[in-house]
Amino acid sequence: MATVSLKGIQKSYKDTEILRGIDLDIGAGEFVSLVGPSGCGKSTLLRIIAGLEAPTVGDVRIGGASVSGTRAADRNLSMVFQSYALYPHLTVAENIAVPLRMRRLNRWQRLPLIGGLLGGDASIAADVRRAAEMLEITPLLDRRPGQLSGGQRQRVALGRALVRDPAAFLLDEPLSNLDAKLRAHTRTEITELHRKLGATFIYVTHDQVEAMTMSDRIAVMMGGRILQCDTPARIYADPCDLRVAEFIGSPRINVIPAEADGAGRIAIPGCALPLRHRGRAALRLALRPETLFLTDRAPKLRGEVAHVENMGHEFVVQVAVAGLPSRLVLRTAMPATIGQTVSIGFDPALALVFDAEGRRCRDVTVCEGAAA
Amino acid sequence: MTQGRTALLLGAPALVLMMAILILPILAAVILSFTDYSLGASGIRWVGFDNYGRIFGSSTYEKMLVATATYVAVVVPASIGLGLGAALLIQSLSRGAAFYKSVYFLPVMATLLAMTIVWQMMLHPTIGVVNRGLLAVCGVLPEGVCPAEMPLWLGDRDYAIWVTCFIGVWQSFGFNMVLYLAGLSGVPRELYGAAEMDGARSAWERFRLVTWPALRPTTMFVLITTSIRAFQTFDTVEVLFSPGGGPAKSVYLMMFAIYEKGIVQNLVGIGAAITVLFLISVMALTVLQRRIAERKAL
Repeated sequence: MATVSLKGIQKSYKDTEILRGIDLDIGAGEFVSLVGPSGCGKSTLLRIIAGLEAPTVGDVRIGGASVSGTRAADRNLSMVFQSYALYPHLTVAENIAVPLRMRRLNRWQRLPLIGGLLGGDASIAADVRRAAEMLEITPLLDRRPGQLSGGQRQRVALGRALVRDPAAFLLDEPLSNLDAKLRAHTRTEITELHRKLGATFIYVTHDQVEAMTMSDRIAVMMGGRILQCDTPARIYADPCDLRVAEFIGSPRINVIPAEADGAGRIAIPGCALPLRHRGRAALRLALRPETLFLTDRAPKLRGEVAHVENMGHEFVVQVAVAGLPSRLVLRTAMPATIGQTVSIGFDPALALVFDAEGRRCRDVTVCEGAAA
Repeated sequence: MTQGRTALLLGAPALVLMMAILILPILAAVILSFTDYSLGASGIRWVGFDNYGRIFGSSTYEKMLVATATYVAVVVPASIGLGLGAALLIQSLSRGAAFYKSVYFLPVMATLLAMTIVWQMMLHPTIGVVNRGLLAVCGVLPEGVCPAEMPLWLGDRDYAIWVTCFIGVWQSFGFNMVLYLAGLSGVPRELYGAAEMDGARSAWERFRLVTWPALRPTTMFVLITTSIRAFQTFDTVEVLFSPGGGPAKSVYLMMFAIYEKGIVQNLVGIGAAITVLFLISVMALTVLQRRIAERKAL
C-alpha cells in the first residue's frame, strides 16, 4: 500500500478539455471514491493514475515518487475494469495467474510448451489458490469466463487484481454491470476486503450510494474538476457547492429560490425566515427531504400532494407548491392522498444556503426568537 | 394431417432443390469416376477402381499430388501470415490506413487471369522486367555474385512451382488482410489495458495474451477459405503452363488436371475420379481444422 497524489492534472483531447486541474492526496490504506455524472472525467482520471493514459499537464506520485514517464506495467497498480476484461481463452485460474506469470517468470518460462518443461514457479499456483479462497471462487478455477455469471466474473476480476500485492487498487465502476441485489452484496464485500487488506483503494462510480456507503473520503467530480473532497458525512451534511448537494443523496435535495433584502433578511416565496445574510442577494435554499415535515402549526409552505411512493417503512411524498419551480419531496410515516392540500414546516437552521452561482454561503446566521 | 407430415410437406421443395442442385451432381461425379465414360461415346463400362488405381499408380498423377500439396502447403501459411501482418501494421497506423488497404486489396479485385498475363510478360526470360531489373542490379555488383544466366522463371522446373506459389500468395493475402482487419476491430480495447496492467510490456506479449486468442474464429475462417481457394487454383496454370502443366509437369495442379483430363482430353471417368479426390481432400482438411478449433475453443 502506498500514497497516491495528483498535482495539477489536466487532460484535453484536441479542443475538448476533459480534466481542468485536479489536485488530490490519497493516504496509504485509504478508500477514496471518485464520483460524478457520466462525462465528468472520473474514468479518464483513473486511467491517468493507472498510466494507461498520459496527462496533458500535471504529475502523478505513487508512494511519494513521481511516476510520470513510468509505464502502466511498471507502476505496480492493480485495476478492475468495468467490463472485467477477463481473457476469454484462459480459465479462471489462468486469468488470475496472468499478473504473477508476467512478473515472476522469464520470457522462456512463459512460452507454451517449453515453459512447461522448464517448470514454472510453484508459488504462483499457491497464490492463485489463496486469492480464490479469499473470494470463494475455488470451485470455478477450471472454468472459462464465458461459463460464468456476471457476479462470478466480477469476483475473478477482483481476484486477478488482489493476487499480487500492488501499491494501490484502482476500480472502474466494478458494480455497474450487476443487478441491484448483487450490487448491494458486493458493496459490502469490497468494503470488507478493503478492511482486511488495508490497501489503498481508488474507486470510480457514478452511483452516489456506492460512494457514500464504501468510502473513507469522496471526491465529487463535475466538468473536469473536483468540487469537494471530504468524508461521506460532511459531503452529505455540509456540501460546499449546490451541485454536490444535488448529486449526493436520494431522493434529491429540495432547492427553493430565496431572497435576502437590504437588511439581509432571507425570505422564500410566501414566508420570511429567521435567517440573516450579509446583504441583498438572490439565494437558493437547499433542504434534505428528511428535514421537511408535514405540520399544521406555523407552516412555512403549502401545497398539493402530487405523487406518493410507498416504501413500506415510510412514504415519499411529492408536493407541488405554487410559485416553486419544482415539486418538494419529503419523507413521512403518515400516508398522504394525492390531491390533498398539506402544510410543510422545516427547521431553518437545517437549511443550506447557496448563492446564485451555487456556492455555499457560510455567513448566514440564525436569529433566535425572530418571527418564524 | 399430423404435424410431422405438414413439416415434411413444407420442407419438401427445399429438400428437392437441395438434392437436385447439390447432392445429385456430386453423386453423379462419384458414379462417373467408376466408369470409362467419355462425352459422345456410344457405350459406358463400369471399371471399378481402375481410374483411382491409375491416379495413384502413374507418375503423372503422382506429380499432380506433389504439385498440389506443395502449392497448398506454401500458399496457405504464407498468405495467412502476410495477411495478418499487414492487418496488424495497418491497424497501428494513425493515417494512411485507407491507402494501404486499397493497395493490398488491388490484386484481389483484379481478375487473376488478367494479372497472370501481366506476370507472364514480366517474367519473360529476356524482355521481362524481372530479369532486366536483376541484370541491371548485377551490373553494379562485383563479378561472381550473380549467376551467368538469369533464371527461366517459367521454363525451369526448379522455379516454376515457386513462381506459381508466389503469384498465389500475392493474389490472395489482401483478402485475408481484410478479414483480419474485421477481426481486429472486434477485439475489446479494455483487454489491452488489462494486459498492460497485468505486466505485459512488449507488443509480442500483448499479441499472445489478447490479439491472437481473440482472432481465433477469424483465423479458422481464413484458414478454411484460403485452403479451399488454394486447392481450386486454375487460372495461373492455364495461362502460364497450358498445355501440359509446366516443365516436367511440376505445376500440374489438381484443378488443372481435372480440366485437362475431363474436358480437353474427354476422359470424363478420370476427370471425375480426380474431382472426387479433390472433394475428399478439401473436406478432410476442413473437418480437421474444425476439430482442432473446437478442441481449443473449450
